[in-house]
Amino acid sequence: MWRLARAGRAHFAVPCSGHEAIGVGYALALEPGVDWVSPHYRDLAALLVLGMEPRDVMLCFFSRPSDPNARGRQPYAHFGSRRLHVLSQQGPQPNHCSHGVGCAWGSKLLGDGSVSVIAFGDGGAQKGEVHESMNVAAIHQLPCVFVVHRNGWTQSVKRSDQYATETLVARAAGYGIPGISVDGTDVEAMYAAASEAVRRARGGGGPTLIDAQCVRFMPNTSNDDDSRYRDRAEVDALRATGDPLVRARALVDGAFAARVDTENEAIAAEAAEWAEAQPLGDPASVLEHAYA
Amino acid sequence: MRELSVIEAVREALGDEMARDERVILLGEDIGKLGGVFRATEGLFDRFGAERVVDMPMAETVIAGVTVGLAMRGMRPVAEIQFADFIHASMDHLVGEAAKIRWRTGGDWSCPMVLRTAYGGGFRGGPYHSQSVEAFYAHAPGLKVVAPSTPADAKGLLLAAIRDPDPVLVLEHKRTYRAIRGSVPEGDYVVPIGKASIAREGRDATVLAYGMMLHESLAAAETLAAEGIDVEVVDLRTLLPLDRETILASLAKTRRLCVVHEDTVTMGLGAELCALAAEADVLDVPPVRVAMPDIPGIPVDDNLEDAVLPNRATIRDALVHLVARERTRAGVAARAYDPGIPQASSLIEVALSPEHTRVALDALVSAARAVPRCNATFAWTGIVEHEDVVVDLDLGPASPAAGRGTITLVDYGPDGSDLAIPFVRPGQTAAVRIGAVRNGRAYVACAVDHRAVDGADAGRFLAAFKSAAEQKRATPSLDRRATIPMSP
Repeated sequence: MWRLARAGRAHFAVPCSGHEAIGVGYALALEPGVDWVSPHYRDLAALLVLGMEPRDVMLCFFSRPSDPNARGRQPYAHFGSRRLHVLSQQGPQPNHCSHGVGCAWGSKLLGDGSVSVIAFGDGGAQKGEVHESMNVAAIHQLPCVFVVHRNGWTQSVKRSDQYATETLVARAAGYGIPGISVDGTDVEAMYAAASEAVRRARGGGGPTLIDAQCVRFMPNTSNDDDSRYRDRAEVDALRATGDPLVRARALVDGAFAARVDTENEAIAAEAAEWAEAQPLGDPASVLEHAYA
Repeated sequence: MRELSVIEAVREALGDEMARDERVILLGEDIGKLGGVFRATEGLFDRFGAERVVDMPMAETVIAGVTVGLAMRGMRPVAEIQFADFIHASMDHLVGEAAKIRWRTGGDWSCPMVLRTAYGGGFRGGPYHSQSVEAFYAHAPGLKVVAPSTPADAKGLLLAAIRDPDPVLVLEHKRTYRAIRGSVPEGDYVVPIGKASIAREGRDATVLAYGMMLHESLAAAETLAAEGIDVEVVDLRTLLPLDRETILASLAKTRRLCVVHEDTVTMGLGAELCALAAEADVLDVPPVRVAMPDIPGIPVDDNLEDAVLPNRATIRDALVHLVARERTRAGVAARAYDPGIPQASSLIEVALSPEHTRVALDALVSAARAVPRCNATFAWTGIVEHEDVVVDLDLGPASPAAGRGTITLVDYGPDGSDLAIPFVRPGQTAAVRIGAVRNGRAYVACAVDHRAVDGADAGRFLAAFKSAAEQKRATPSLDRRATIPMSP
């Protein structure tokens, strides 16, 4: 997707390299089709685990009207699927926090035992939206899990210009809820942390904050040039220890990993080729689902 | 039928709907045991419990945000923002999220939420407890914005809002809460969103108003009725989407528009309503707006607040001015001539007796029937050919506008000059001028609006006029104003 966007064949790419284990970890801890997700925009991995089809991802990437996420009306990474219980996502980060809290509140009122995961970045975590959302979730002991992708960057602004603490987990105590600090590049640790939090939420124990540290290996988006504000060599040097794919590869047989890579590359290539060939929108359709 | 105040009607609607639909929950500041600062939720905490009548932290962003989430999840949340002045902390969720959710997902998701808030001044609340905020939110496609004025509408619109599949902002004028009482039907009913109502019928001018200003406008209309001015007052009820049909039907009847709102004037709702009227070309005179001056807030001082809020006296004065506009000489002159109309003219000599008014009128009708394109009016949307010939002998500068004729006949009688080219008036297509009759003959000149009629047609028209006039057939009877069909 990165290469296709840079080649001008799609409008916008959001790389998730370095963030994959967080999404995979929490998605595996959920019950697909039962639990609800307000994902971070780097949570493509979570969506694939939850059942989003590669072709649908690519329809979203090419902004085609047949994209079930955003119907050609929002750029890539603004995910949403009623079928998959993924709340429709928006541009201003992280407004979906309170939506996720409202969704969890609905679960509590309806008594259906479902849990909501609300994921956002450490940049977004500086907004009052997150404070207000965690406060309300804590007051009403709502069945939700807050997951912060802490990569230390808010587009071009480094961590120390965004918040004065090294980590964010201490904030949980401020709301009277449990906080878990986890290495978000370790898929097994992430899965364990998420499972604990989801179990607590489902059991009526209220919300948890998971502070998942990770590395953003790529620029913020395809519109970003991170060489202007950080040393790429330093970032690349973290691949060996901080790339969740590298780390996960060490957990499995090398031949198996190579086969998975080959299969997935073929699936992605087929989906991209197919999606790019799908028609663009009919201008007359722009008024559909509008009124007034 | 029993009478309720607006606040009692709101309370009844909330309670009835909570009893009818268990998905309805209320969220807001101080709405629980206190019953809301205006008591809209009084008794509901005891009746439905803390789980469905939820006191929220003093944080308007999250009140709106969780309301969005609850709605997406399938609940029917009704949030209260205590004062409209505090609503802008919710704006990102209302305008950026709720309004867009259906559209941005192609209908996969929807956001059936209601946000109620109390707006408006008139009770010494100062700049942060008095504002009108409708213009900000009525500018957000995807939202629906309602502003009831009466107890019956307060209940019916709120019930419609809660059942609506999309987000609705309900603006309740806080001065109506207790000041306005009225009949409210028992039981379940809805007032459809998007429908205005005619609060008072009239023919001389239309007032578009809502909220407390509806009542001030009605009071002004009553005063004016005693002065012989008959004002129609339209209660907009829904501000987005506007009921263009009802608004334009009223304006087509009265042809004069006065918009009244408490919100400040520049970029206010009045601007949109005036634009709507202008685009539909339904006004005879420029519209007026009665609104707050462009000051950042409403002052608390008694004299200052009274000076800036519109009221029945300022509305009355504006209406008197509006209705008088057409009666002034300057206003009529400005409409009677339009130098922008390109004119073409033709000339013919006709055998006429000195007394020829009836003959000339008969000839004019004959000529119009023979060359119908001369009995047509140019409009930017196309040329309109008329089915009747309208004859109006109330000559003078005002005759075209008042008489609706399409052809003016100018005849100064035997003492006039031999030849002059008349001027086509706005709304007409031709003007015919008969010169002085000398030795049984007169020059007849015809000017046409060249956008509607070409020179050859004008010539044919005059030839037909000459032919008919020289047969000396007289119109049998002649009223000062007559409408004659184009087909004999």
